[in-house]
Amino acid sequence: MTPILDMAGISVTFPGVKALDKAMLTVLPGEVHGLVGENGAGKSTLIKVLAGVYAPDEGVVSLGDEKHISTLTPNLVHTAGVRFIHQELHLVPHFTVAESVFMGQEISGRFGLDKSTMNARTEDFLRETLNADISPRTLIRDLGTAERKLVQISRALIDGRATLVVFDEPTAPLASDEVDRLFAAIGGLKSKGIAMIYVSHYLREITHISDRVTVLRNGKAVKVFNEVSDQITDPMISAMVGREIAEMFPKKENTSNKKLFEARELSGMGFSQVNFDVAAGEVLGIAGLVGSGREELIDTIYGLLPVTSGSMTLKAEAYNPKRPAKAVKAGVALVPRDRRHDGLVLDQPVIDNINLASLEEVSTVLMEKRGVAKNRAEAMANQLDLRPRNVTMIPRLLSGGNQQKVVLGRWLAKGGDLFILDEPTVGVDVGAKVEIYALIRELAAQGSAVIVSSGDPLELLGLSDRIMVLQRGFLAASHDAKDVNVDSLVALTTGGSSGAIE
Amino acid sequence: MRLSILTSTITLAAAFVATSLMADGHLSLAGKRIGVAVVGTQHFWDREAFNGATSTVEKLGGEVVPVDGGRDNQVHADNHDVLLANKVDAVISILGDGAVEPKFEALKNAGIPVFTVDHPSPHGVNNTTSDNYYMGTTIGRYMADAIGGEGKVAVFNAFEGALRICGIRAGLWKYVLQDYPNIEIVQPELAEEFANAPEDARKKTLDLLSQYPEGTLDAIHVGCWDQPAIGVVQALEEAGRSDILVTALDGGPDTLEIMAEDGSPFVANVAQQPNLIGSTSAMNVARHFAGEKLLPQTYVDVYPVNGQAEAKAAYKSLGYGTLD
Amino acid sequence: MIAIQFVRKLLEWVPVAVFALMFIFLGIEAPTLFTPFTIDLMLKQAVPTVVVSLGLAVVIITGGDDVVSGGIDLSIPAAAIIAAAIIADQVTNHGTALPIALAFALLAAITVGALNAFLVVMIRMTPLLATLASSVAVVGITKMITQSKRINVTDPFIVFLRDGTVIGLSAGVVAAGLLTLIYWFLMHQTRWGMQAQATGGGREAADISGISTKRYQAISFLLAAFTGFLASMFVLARGSGSSPGTEENLLLEMVLATFLGAAFSPRRKVTVWGAALGAVLVAMLSVGFKSIGVNVFWTGCIKGALILIVVASAAATTRGRY
Repeated sequence: MTPILDMAGISVTFPGVKALDKAMLTVLPGEVHGLVGENGAGKSTLIKVLAGVYAPDEGVVSLGDEKHISTLTPNLVHTAGVRFIHQELHLVPHFTVAESVFMGQEISGRFGLDKSTMNARTEDFLRETLNADISPRTLIRDLGTAERKLVQISRALIDGRATLVVFDEPTAPLASDEVDRLFAAIGGLKSKGIAMIYVSHYLREITHISDRVTVLRNGKAVKVFNEVSDQITDPMISAMVGREIAEMFPKKENTSNKKLFEARELSGMGFSQVNFDVAAGEVLGIAGLVGSGREELIDTIYGLLPVTSGSMTLKAEAYNPKRPAKAVKAGVALVPRDRRHDGLVLDQPVIDNINLASLEEVSTVLMEKRGVAKNRAEAMANQLDLRPRNVTMIPRLLSGGNQQKVVLGRWLAKGGDLFILDEPTVGVDVGAKVEIYALIRELAAQGSAVIVSSGDPLELLGLSDRIMVLQRGFLAASHDAKDVNVDSLVALTTGGSSGAIE
Repeated sequence: MRLSILTSTITLAAAFVATSLMADGHLSLAGKRIGVAVVGTQHFWDREAFNGATSTVEKLGGEVVPVDGGRDNQVHADNHDVLLANKVDAVISILGDGAVEPKFEALKNAGIPVFTVDHPSPHGVNNTTSDNYYMGTTIGRYMADAIGGEGKVAVFNAFEGALRICGIRAGLWKYVLQDYPNIEIVQPELAEEFANAPEDARKKTLDLLSQYPEGTLDAIHVGCWDQPAIGVVQALEEAGRSDILVTALDGGPDTLEIMAEDGSPFVANVAQQPNLIGSTSAMNVARHFAGEKLLPQTYVDVYPVNGQAEAKAAYKSLGYGTLD
Repeated sequence: MIAIQFVRKLLEWVPVAVFALMFIFLGIEAPTLFTPFTIDLMLKQAVPTVVVSLGLAVVIITGGDDVVSGGIDLSIPAAAIIAAAIIADQVTNHGTALPIALAFALLAAITVGALNAFLVVMIRMTPLLATLASSVAVVGITKMITQSKRINVTDPFIVFLRDGTVIGLSAGVVAAGLLTLIYWFLMHQTRWGMQAQATGGGREAADISGISTKRYQAISFLLAAFTGFLASMFVLARGSGSSPGTEENLLLEMVLATFLGAAFSPRRKVTVWGAALGAVLVAMLSVGFKSIGVNVFWTGCIKGALILIVVASAAATTRGRY
């Protein structure tokens, strides 16, 4: 059978990184092809090459009967019948279903818009191709997430010329029971002979709907499974993570047993009835995919999102901050995931950023004590090994790793009982990672409790004393770090079959 | 001497009004609905004329249908349509620019008599107003005297062409100045805003002062009213200029207070009696319904105010309180 | 959850209920209010506001209804009064023929729109600030043209717009009605309009659908300025000439009318017909209150409170539904 898509020997280089290294992907007509890999493995780069967004350094893309070498454009790909269902929905809340489906491709008659035709075609398409019964006159804001996803799919496919559809993490925002509606739609597409590429972190979904699977790691297609069954989950995980746990992590020295923070039956936006605790001197890792409730849980502890039920205690006292300022007052420190937006005043010098949280200590009522502030900041810069070691630099000009060090330095200067680190090493080079890991362990050694939320299983295993796993808003597992390995942790977060602990 | 004459005239006038009310005891507006349209209620003059008209209509047993233009001439004009739709028995219209003329015409055509205040109109039965001729000539003489018969004068004169009363006041002021060949009116004339007049005049005066340094300008006159004069005096104080005198017309309590201050640059004014004007207009409505033939214009006396002492006296006589 | 939905359903009826009750009350208190004459009067008074509100509706639909980051154009009344001032000045003071005066006025209004489009689309200024600034500048230029003085206009066409009738209806009302129809058709019944709506509803979503959002936003400011030009003729007709200071009241009523209209639209969004309806309702309220002889010092207060209730309840019904 001639493949509908054949990408061969694709390499893409970004400044300093080889994102794709002779990667390949072959999709046969009418098949659902799973594409898996860890974060940073090259999945989205490969998809963007297919979309004509990135031109590869080398390699050939055969689309249908034509071979293309670095000549794909978004228009050409669209004309060839390739459609992309992005992770974001990109819908207008107050549009009707039909208006959304025909956005940018409205049908116009002699007397203006032909609304009845658009409504009828939308309804037919949803029912016959996607096996969904949704009124075309419903407003998007009155639909559930799965239904919105179906509207998004309809918009891409309504012209009836699609031959290959790429789904990028389509189920990430969906609840478990909603996933079935999407699968019904995918079944409908398949019965029309449309081929699909299905990118997902949820391995159970991959094995459930894929005909074949390609695994990417470090920019290479390391394995292709031509037969898919539940049995391939473990080999898939092994192929995804490889076996290269580096000696990056500092020694753990957990001594205390004093519970410092406790959450009981805690529910909020995106998670419910979560129980856990952290002791002084302990590092607790939180694992979970995007949409697992991990980010929301962190934001709730820090007072950015409200608690809907349940309780928290900090140092044996009831704790419900409601606002970050109260959290800081209670002794909680957050190192946010998007430090450019949430963590740093990018255009104020490093010295001010380091002293931001402890302003009252370096300022009298009216005046800042510039001298004291400078000494503190310089001492901190030394301790952090900040490069360049110039506290008058503005953070905008620093590298990601050094920016993160400034944020950490601020909280080290302030001190605190509970530290929350959200994706502490995203966008940080390996060298700086090692230094940041050491700093985090030092925080614990000083007697603070630390919560690290991360999507990197290696990081969690290396740093944490214990790891809890969130899945679709629920606490799926909680283990001592020494009882899990990368394979079982990935399995736990993705819902793979080898979730059991050996 | 002069002061006592002034005081006694005002007392006399008040007595006259009282007796005429009694003499016209047969006058009544019972069962009549009288529309009272006023251009705005922010300024003292407008508000007093409005209060005078409405309270007198009520005193005479009539029902008031009030409408307020919010110091916007177009809204004021539109309000007459509302009165027309309401089928009131008569309309008292206070101030307003050319936009109201078609509305007066429509009211007249619908058989609703229109009584104007400070707005002579061919479509009105009667216009009650101050003696604008006397106001214009008097302020011309006072100002010319104050600057010694010679010098440069700037004038705020936005409404000379738009409102007949302003045409009279500013026109006669200029007429008097024709006999003073050494007085020059600065060109172009300044145009004040209708709404927010004090603040607007303050800014425009500051601009003017930067053009005319110390000793090159002798007086600033406001041609038709005195709200802008408040801003003019403010600007003079801000710029520290004591070489310029200010004159204006209307003589409301706020400007009389400024005139009464020691060393005030505001030296001459002609005070009107807005409450009495409004009240008189309402009386005229009653006279009209009683079958009396009204003259097209009813003049209400004005009181020239020349200098600090007269300002204090007028303030007291007009019933605004006492100033010390 | 069910309780919340019930409250929401109730809230959806608040705008209609408030206005229905209000008009029943006014109708009882002032029996002349719903005679054909008064209704025609209310429509006539609403005309300039209707016309500029159409323009604002186009800008908000295309730019989105977030007051700060979305589309808004505060300069439409300024465009209207500069056009009115030019027409009045040319016709009355310079004896220019009306069509030529209109051409000058159109040029001025479109320049205002082009300036807004440039500031917002190219310079990427916040529409609120850009149009506020251009409004201040344009009002300043207008004062220079008129020297802050009133200019009477007696041109027969303008007088026709004020007093004329077409098939028994006021000429101005008919013209504004037609304009509303044209703008409604453009924004709600054509591909162009749908894509403009998509631009305002979700910039990224529209971009991804291949809609050139910048062009739409730029054109929306031009369309708005064009309504400013059209409104200038009605402003002149209404005031029998150009009076200084007219823009303030017009601005206030335009913004009120447009957002009030949104409260009455089923999707709680700014629409063309909603803006026109809002302008008529605002005029009806004004006339209604004046008709029952409410104390003039209280009218503004009551009007403001009513509108607040309506707009706030509409906001409450859409809150959290995204």
